[in-house]
Formats: sequence, structure tokens, C-alpha cells
Amino acid sequence: MARVLVVDDDQALLRALRIGLGALGYDVVVAGTGAQGITQAAMASPDVVVLDLGLPDLDGLEVCRRIRQWSEVPVIVLSADGTEDRKIAALDGGADDYMTKPFGMGELEARLRVAQRHRAAEGDAVTAKELAVGPLELDLVHHQVRMAGEPVELTTREFALLAFLARHAGKLCTHRMILDEVWGPHHGSQTDSLRVYVYRLRRKLGDEDGTFLRTHPGVGYQLVTEPG
Amino acid sequence: MRTGRRGVEGSIVGAAVMAALTLAMLPVRTHLSVATTALVLVVPVVAAVVVGGLSAGLFAVAAGFLVYDLVFIPPYDTLSVGASQNWIALVVYVAVMLLVASVVARLESTRAETHQREQAVRRLFELTDLLIEDRPLPEVLELIVSTVHDAFGLRSVALMLPVGPGLEVVASAGEPLSEHQQRAVAPSPGVPASLRSAAVGTPDDFQTVALAATGRPIGLLRIGGPAPGPHGQELLRTFANQLALALERAQLREQALRTELLEEVERLQRALVRAVSHDLRTPLATIKMAASTLHDDGVAVGPSERSELVRLIEEQADRLDRLVTNLLDVSRMESGALEVHTEPIAVVDLVQEALGGRRRLAGDVPVTIAVDRDLPLVDVDHLLVTQVLANLLDNAARYAPPGTAVTVSGRRGDPGLVEVAVEDGGPGVPRAERGEVFALFSRSGSGGGTGVGLSIARAFLAAHGQRIWIEDAPGGGARFCFTLPVAAVAAVAP
Repeated sequence: MARVLVVDDDQALLRALRIGLGALGYDVVVAGTGAQGITQAAMASPDVVVLDLGLPDLDGLEVCRRIRQWSEVPVIVLSADGTEDRKIAALDGGADDYMTKPFGMGELEARLRVAQRHRAAEGDAVTAKELAVGPLELDLVHHQVRMAGEPVELTTREFALLAFLARHAGKLCTHRMILDEVWGPHHGSQTDSLRVYVYRLRRKLGDEDGTFLRTHPGVGYQLVTEPG
Repeated sequence: MRTGRRGVEGSIVGAAVMAALTLAMLPVRTHLSVATTALVLVVPVVAAVVVGGLSAGLFAVAAGFLVYDLVFIPPYDTLSVGASQNWIALVVYVAVMLLVASVVARLESTRAETHQREQAVRRLFELTDLLIEDRPLPEVLELIVSTVHDAFGLRSVALMLPVGPGLEVVASAGEPLSEHQQRAVAPSPGVPASLRSAAVGTPDDFQTVALAATGRPIGLLRIGGPAPGPHGQELLRTFANQLALALERAQLREQALRTELLEEVERLQRALVRAVSHDLRTPLATIKMAASTLHDDGVAVGPSERSELVRLIEEQADRLDRLVTNLLDVSRMESGALEVHTEPIAVVDLVQEALGGRRRLAGDVPVTIAVDRDLPLVDVDHLLVTQVLANLLDNAARYAPPGTAVTVSGRRGDPGLVEVAVEDGGPGVPRAERGEVFALFSRSGSGGGTGVGLSIARAFLAAHGQRIWIEDAPGGGARFCFTLPVAAVAAVAP
């Protein structure tokens, strides 16, 4: 049974989440403040953390950064103001996903599943020689790509970009994360160039409508692990 | 006019000194040589020139000639001159006096001009000092024109700046410009206004000085009255440049202030949007979460949990409703549409109304009511005060730790007042933050939220002429106290 730590100062939401997630078979641990959240993240060793950004004592971003200092537990950030810069800051600060309030049980459950799965896959991906995400297969040693069994020719940078997204499959990667990793530390701010590469990748993968390599406008990109 | 009066004054002084000296020398004139009296008669001429200028000097020379001839050159009391050396004395006297008068007059006028220029320069320096100070633009403009007016002794000074498509007089001193004079520099329809071309025309005794800074025309200085001399013109030009720079600086400063203000307004608006969206979405999150859990057939929820989810939905819907009411109240207050209709009512009734029949607040926090039984009625608008209580209870419930209760109490306060308090067992409010808690958009320490409930509580109580404050609760939590006025009927019918 997976254990979820929910950090939110709204008691009503905590109770609704406890009932809803409990009914889905999750073991739910709650914390009402950022400080409690950090303690619980260490003590209760949760499989996933759901963290509200608007906490009474600490900024949620700070809580996320502190948990990240010693733990790789997947963190899904919740926010009620839904501004893009907070979203990007949370993801850059180590959050795995971001949800804007209000959200339904179905959506939260799907995100929890993805977060757990890609975190497990990421652990393997560090040493893996081959990666598979849905219809996509990557041979990291020979730089070969197959989409639905068909070989795809990619340039070095296109391959590096796809491999980065595949290693973090399911996770929303911000522009900065991708640029830092694929373009290197002195990338300046080549978001336009990134856009062009994504456009070319989609054409080569036969994903012109962007259902597999998903765009989150203004934030980043994500390889979708489960359709719908 | 002034020079004429000065001349008369000088002539009178000259005549008076002449008369005095003549009377003094008259008894002994036979003992004095012709040359001595001539020397003494130099004095009134010099006095006249110093006081009255050249014209008074010439008058004094003429008078001196007559007095010298009639009184001091024998034969006395006739114009005839006896000895031929007396003729020489008389001619030399007149010639020397004319020279003295002209030299002294020229010296005097130079001295006066220098003095005037010094005065002007000093005023201009003073003005430069004033311009460096941080003053609002209209004050700077008034200062400029009045200084120019006084420093150059002008009849009228008007400063014209481009306003919209034309030029407008923004500050003036002395006689105001006539309709015609204003039109002279105003652009005609269809003709583009140019400060440069307007600077050329100088009708009647008016003079127009263009003000330009960093190659850009700033405005026009239109002056009327006696034209300053060549030195004055130079000074005026220097001054005009100073002015242009000061004006440009003041205009840039105003612009910067306006930009700053706009940025501040924008920042507040962003904060408002963020705070409101936060406060609206927080209850919505619970409602949607609970509803979607109930809705999902695949999720196994027991009957007691099912009823708790339904209760949560209802409770959060109420919270949302109160928030919307509060936001509407804010806009009502901002538009000045808040009216207070008071009537006598019991405090306990207000509390019951605020609780809406509940015994527990949001988050299942229990409420204890501790209102004194013999409390008099209060004279308030029950809608507004109910809202105040509901907001305070809401706030207390939010900060009350699980397992603690919120207490509403009412007791007699200062004469004519009832003191109502809402107390929680939460962390309390630090002394330093107690003022800010009631400010709009500040939920203390939290990552968002409007804090609109508390600011409304304060505003509604202020509308009753009452106040609200925070104390430490005996148990360590926060205690929000406010006063209500005792109703007049209470004394008659307890």
C-alpha cells in the first residue's frame, strides 16, 4: 500500500483527501504546516508527497527544496493561485508535478500513479542502456531510436533531447531543466531553439498533434507515459 | 518716471545745500577770496549729481553759476562782473562743474547698474538653489516667473509650456498677458505649433525667450516691460538655460513618479487577483475533491465517510458564499454605498445569527458561547455585525488546532459599551503584526489569501464608530475584541 504525505493548511481539504485517497487504498499521512511536512517526510517515509505552496509557516517552495536535500521522494505541488512563474519555480526547485486547485480525485490519482512510476523508472534509467516509453524505444549505447517498431533517424542533439525526456518520462520538464542538460550550462536562453527541436522531433516521431511529446505552454515539455 | 522724480529730488537737494552754504558764507563774503567761494560751491553740484543724476547736476551748475556771480563776485547783486580775473574764475567754475557733473553722473549710473546686476545675479543664484530642492512642478514654475519678474524689474512675465497641441500659460507674474498677446504665440488651426518659430516674433515691447534643454525645446518665457540692457540680456539668456534644465528635470521627475505610481497600482492589482483566486479556489478544492470522490463508483466509501464528504461540501460552499459576500462588501464600501441601519438587538442573538444554528465551525471546531446574561441590548446594524462575527469565527476556526474550541464572549465594557471577544487556542498573533492583520490582502504569514474578512470586520465596526483590537487569550491563542454601543432603550426596559 503506497503511503501519501499531504501537506496543506486547509483542514477541510485534508479531510476530503484523507477519505478519498483512503478509499482508493492509499495510506494517508497529513501535515498542517511546512515544518511538520518536512518532519513527516523524514519520519513517515512516504512514497509520494502532495505539497501545497501556500503554507502558514514556510513557503511551499522552500519545503520542497529542503526535502530535496536528502530525499528523492516524488513531490506533487498544489497551488491555488495558478501563476506560471510559481509553477516553473516549483518544478525547477525539484517538484515532479504541479496541480492547480481545484482538481478532481481522478486527476490526482493519475498524477500520483505517474509520479511513483516515473520515479521508479528514473532510478533504473541512470544505468539503463535501453529505454522504452510507450511506443518509443531508445538504444542509448548505439543512439538508435524506434517509434512503433520503425527506426527513426535523429541528429545528435535531437537524440540527446529525446533521451532526456525519456529518462524523465511522465515528468513535466521545464525549459530550463532541458536547456541546462541538453544545451549545457552556457545555453543562455535558447527557448526558441528548443521549440524548433521539439517541432522537428514531433515530425520525425509522427507525433504532429503533440499527444506523446506534450507541450505545457510557457512551462516545458513532457513525454506522456499513459494516454488520456 | 522714476528718473524724472530722481532728477527733481537731486535738484532740490542741490538747491538746499547751495542755499545753506551761501547763507553761511554771506556774512563773511568780503573776507573770502573769489577762488575759495568757488571751491565751496562745488559741494552742492556734487550732492545734486549723486542724488539726482546728470539733469539735477546741470540744474545745480546753472544755479551755482547764478549764485556765484550774483552773491560772491563783486560788484554784488548784479550779473555784471567787475575785474577781469573774476571772469576767469567764473568761466573756470562753470567748466569744471560741468565736467564734475558729467563724471560723477556716469560713475553713479555705473554704480547703480552694477548694484542692480548684482541684485539680479543674487536672486538667480537663490533661485538655482531653490530649483535643486525637491519641489512639485507647479511650485517650481511660480517660483521661476516671480523671480524673473523681480530680478529684471519687468512689467510682466509669463511662462508658456506645450500643453496638448498648443502653448499655454502655466505661470505668470505681473500684468497678465492680453488675449491678443496669447494668440500671437498660440498655433492657428492646421498650422503645427513650433516653439522655435514662435521664438522669433517680438511684437510691441514684448520679448520672447525660448527655453531649450539638451537640444529639445521646453517652453517659452514671454516678458513685457523695459527691455534689460545688454548685460541684462546676457544674464537673461544664461538664466533661460538654467530654467530649461530645471524644467526638464522637474518634468522627468514627475514622469518618474507617475511611472512609479502606476507600477505600484499594478502590483497591488496583481496581488489582489492572486489573493482572490487563492481564497476562491481553496474551498473549491475541497468541494471538487469530495464531489469527485463521491461521484467515482470505483471508489469504496463507507456510509459515515460519505456523509462527512457531503458535510464538507456544504460547509465549504458556505465558506465560499461568505467570501463572495465579503468581496461584494468590499466593492460596496469602495463605491461608498455602505449604509448602517441600527436597531436594538441582543448580543447573543447576533452570535446565533452568525453561527447560523451551528454548534461547530468549519473544520469541526466546537464553539463555546459565554455571553453575560444581564448584558444590555446593543444598537447596531445586525446584518453588518453578524458578518463581523462570522468573519472572526471563520478566522478563529482556521487557526484553532484540532481538539480546541473557539469561545465567543460578551461583557460590559466602558460606560455605554459592550465588549465582544472571539478567542481561539491557536498560535496567537505576534504583537508586531497586530496592526497589519486588519489590512486588506494580508493573511498573516500565509502564502496567499486576501485576509479580506478581518479588514471587512474592521471597516464595518468603524462604520458604527466602534473599534476592534487583538489581545493575547489567557490560553495563549488570539483574542479579537470589539466594542458595540449600548442601545438607549436598554436603560428603560432591561
